[in-house]
Amino acid sequence: MKKKRKNDFIQLAVLVLLGLSVILSIILPQVTRQPKEPQILSVSILIRDTDSSLWTNTRLGMDQAADELGAELRFLTLTTPDDAAEQGELLRREMENGADAAVIVPADPDAIASVLSSSAEVCPIVSMESPVEGASGTIFADPVQLGTELAQALLADWTSGRVLLLDSGGGVNHSITARLEAARSVLEDAGVPVAERACQSAGLSTGLRSLLAETGSQWVMAFDAPATLRAAEGKELEQLSVPLYGVGSPVEIITRLEQGTISAVATWSDYAAGYLAVEHAVSAARGKDRATAPLSFSILRGEDIYEPNNQKMLFPVAS
Amino acid sequence: MHLIRRFTARIAAGYRKMSIQMVISLSFTAVAVAGILLMGLSLFLRFSSTSQQMAAESSQRVLAQVNLNLDSYLRRMMRISDAVYYSIIKNVDLSEGSLAPAMNLLYEENRDDLVSIAAFDSRGNLVASVPLSSLKEDSRTKGSPWFRAAMGNMENLHFSTPHVQNLFDDPDTPYRWVVSLSRHVQLTKDGNTENGVLLVDMGFAGIEQVCQDVELSGGGYLYVIDGDGELIYHPGQQLIYAGLLEENNLAAASYPDGSRTEEFQNQRRQVTVKTVGYTGWKLVGVVPTQDSDIPELFLFGLSLLLFFIFLMAFLNFRISAYISDPIRRLEQSIKELENGRENVEIEEAGCYEVQRLSHAVRSMVSTMRHLMEDIIEQEGQKRRSELEVLQSQINPHFLYNTLDSVIWMTESGRQDEAIRMVTSLARLFRIALSKGNSMIPLSDELEHARHYMTIQQIRYKNKFETKITAQPDTEGLYTLKLIVQPILENAIYHGMASAEDEGLISVTAYRDGDDLLIDVADNGLGMRPEVAASLLDENRPAVHTSGSGIGVRNVHQRIRLTFGPAYGLTIFSEPDEGTLVRIRLPALSQEEASRYQQEGPS
Repeated sequence: MKKKRKNDFIQLAVLVLLGLSVILSIILPQVTRQPKEPQILSVSILIRDTDSSLWTNTRLGMDQAADELGAELRFLTLTTPDDAAEQGELLRREMENGADAAVIVPADPDAIASVLSSSAEVCPIVSMESPVEGASGTIFADPVQLGTELAQALLADWTSGRVLLLDSGGGVNHSITARLEAARSVLEDAGVPVAERACQSAGLSTGLRSLLAETGSQWVMAFDAPATLRAAEGKELEQLSVPLYGVGSPVEIITRLEQGTISAVATWSDYAAGYLAVEHAVSAARGKDRATAPLSFSILRGEDIYEPNNQKMLFPVAS
Repeated sequence: MHLIRRFTARIAAGYRKMSIQMVISLSFTAVAVAGILLMGLSLFLRFSSTSQQMAAESSQRVLAQVNLNLDSYLRRMMRISDAVYYSIIKNVDLSEGSLAPAMNLLYEENRDDLVSIAAFDSRGNLVASVPLSSLKEDSRTKGSPWFRAAMGNMENLHFSTPHVQNLFDDPDTPYRWVVSLSRHVQLTKDGNTENGVLLVDMGFAGIEQVCQDVELSGGGYLYVIDGDGELIYHPGQQLIYAGLLEENNLAAASYPDGSRTEEFQNQRRQVTVKTVGYTGWKLVGVVPTQDSDIPELFLFGLSLLLFFIFLMAFLNFRISAYISDPIRRLEQSIKELENGRENVEIEEAGCYEVQRLSHAVRSMVSTMRHLMEDIIEQEGQKRRSELEVLQSQINPHFLYNTLDSVIWMTESGRQDEAIRMVTSLARLFRIALSKGNSMIPLSDELEHARHYMTIQQIRYKNKFETKITAQPDTEGLYTLKLIVQPILENAIYHGMASAEDEGLISVTAYRDGDDLLIDVADNGLGMRPEVAASLLDENRPAVHTSGSGIGVRNVHQRIRLTFGPAYGLTIFSEPDEGTLVRIRLPALSQEEASRYQQEGPS
């Protein structure tokens, strides 16, 4: 009888164990199942320009990432180009209004850093072009390398004459400053005379001639896309023949590169930059840290544009 | 091998300790689980295979439809090219007219799909184009892949991979992605023909529209490559161009039409390929295998499996209990029997074999009870017989009569006879005692008979003679003691006492095979055979008088109790003829007799 009781107990235990296993295997998937549709995030995009025409390809990449990752984008432009105060205020307002993340092209990285440190409501920030202290990541091409290679492209063409270095960052845009300093270093090391002038991008359309005359330069280097485009416009407008070297890959710049207005540009895939910026911002908003790597760039001349790989980089297929 | 042996030994040890119910439950459940697992695995594999087959068939159907649409689109472009060539270029002499107006009409009809139509001479100079008419300054027409392909292979039409159009100055949309359809044409100028190239640039959007809304099952997608694996269309085309996404397009270019499974970036996916007619392009459908669903599918399968095991275990426990409970109750009953409990009820329940077993045990118990009763009865009889032996050894009447005879002979001066009688009496008692042994040598038994007869002859004044003989082959044999004397006593009292003639009592011992026979014969009155037979009847009431035959029956019972029913006495008698009592015993050596002495009857 004792053995029978033991058997009965073992059988009951086995049945209870199996029953619990059945229940557990039914309940477990329900408990661990994660919602397939993640929450849609609101991501604010703040650029340092008054319109986003130069950011078309970047925006295409951002839209693609937002579409894939479940985010809504709000593009915000400034009323005055490179107005750091206005940009800081915009950022503060977006964060207070509950933005889940922000991608910013800072006019003044230090000003943005101070906004981040002083705001009560802070969301993950991804900066483009220049690093910002306190940001989750930065999507940019290595400015020193870029300035160096751009200067080397100029050196390859240089025969004689002074080179005008256009400082369109107002001394606060670290990337522009770093690119410029790297280029200056290369040129000066090569014995090329240089002149540096601070300028507003918008003023270059009409003021390039006077800057050239003032410095006695026969070569021009610009270190961001707006300055490059405005300098090219100024060169066309005033029919100047000085070789222009710049930075950026908007269609307006590439067209002038093809036409010969611009001799060479340091360019990268704006589409990739935009995609990576939003992808990183969404990841940060969802609590996933991702490392960022510097964007790869290349120095292009007019004859290189239609190389298959350059076509793919410069002109998004999106119709 | 050692481990297997140890494992087997442990299983065997466990098996010996387990109850039959547990063995049945566990073995049935183990077999059921193995069966369910096998069946589950088989179903899972079958399900996977069918799912993959269905996905492949679905992809093939979708690809066939896309192929139809794309083929239709490309054939329309080829018809446009044919129309330009055969209806316009071949009918116009360039020295007399321009191709542009007719080309423009055709372009306007198909402007949604076309970017430009242009004709070039063999040097790459523009002959005519719509809608744009001015070439870029540095357009390198002659070096373009589409131009070289057309001039290189004049028979065919050539479709390029998507590229940015770089021929015309287009202030509105300067960099448009196109797919170029080029062919060799013969231009007519001043009545002479010369080689040229017709270029029809299709907008990439046309191909994109054909492919972009295609949905494959399980989150799959479709892309298009040319024969070298170069991408023509991909839903993530710009991500691939920007280096943010990778596709296995170069490998797919080598795949034949049909479905296959490939591993790309640690993901298994089903790839279906279909070649588009004429162009050599390939439609590639990619369906990721449902890795993300596998854990859920696994858990669902596990739930089902566990549920079936639960059900099987429950049923097995019940069935095993139904089978083993009667056995367990039978075992319990046997234990109670072992513990000496009487009137234990043995239930005949359960399945047929268990019922038969219970029945057999029940019969066995009943037989055992009867056997035990028989043994008890036999033991009782034996004890009674032995008591009677003892009683016969000290028969007071015999002793009194003998001593009385001795006194009378002494008083009458018959000293010699008195001495002989007393000597025989002493010898008689010494042999009767025999140190307490129940088995004595045959010679002693015959001597005991001889002394007894000596005494009786003196008492009966030699009214009868005695002849005691033993065959030589009986020497050394042993016998149960005091089996001859009661028969002699019976012969004297019934055969000789009242006989008128001179009587003779003979005792003869001889061998009959393995048996020892002792015949005690007299020539007295004899008796009827039925009376002789009744002397050995156990049910005959006991009357304790001298020579009543009780001694004879006692001898018979003692022999049968000691040696079995094959032995004992046989009485042959006829009235006025005398009586022969034959004692049959086994011929025992000293050793055999000792064994009987120690172990008792078998």
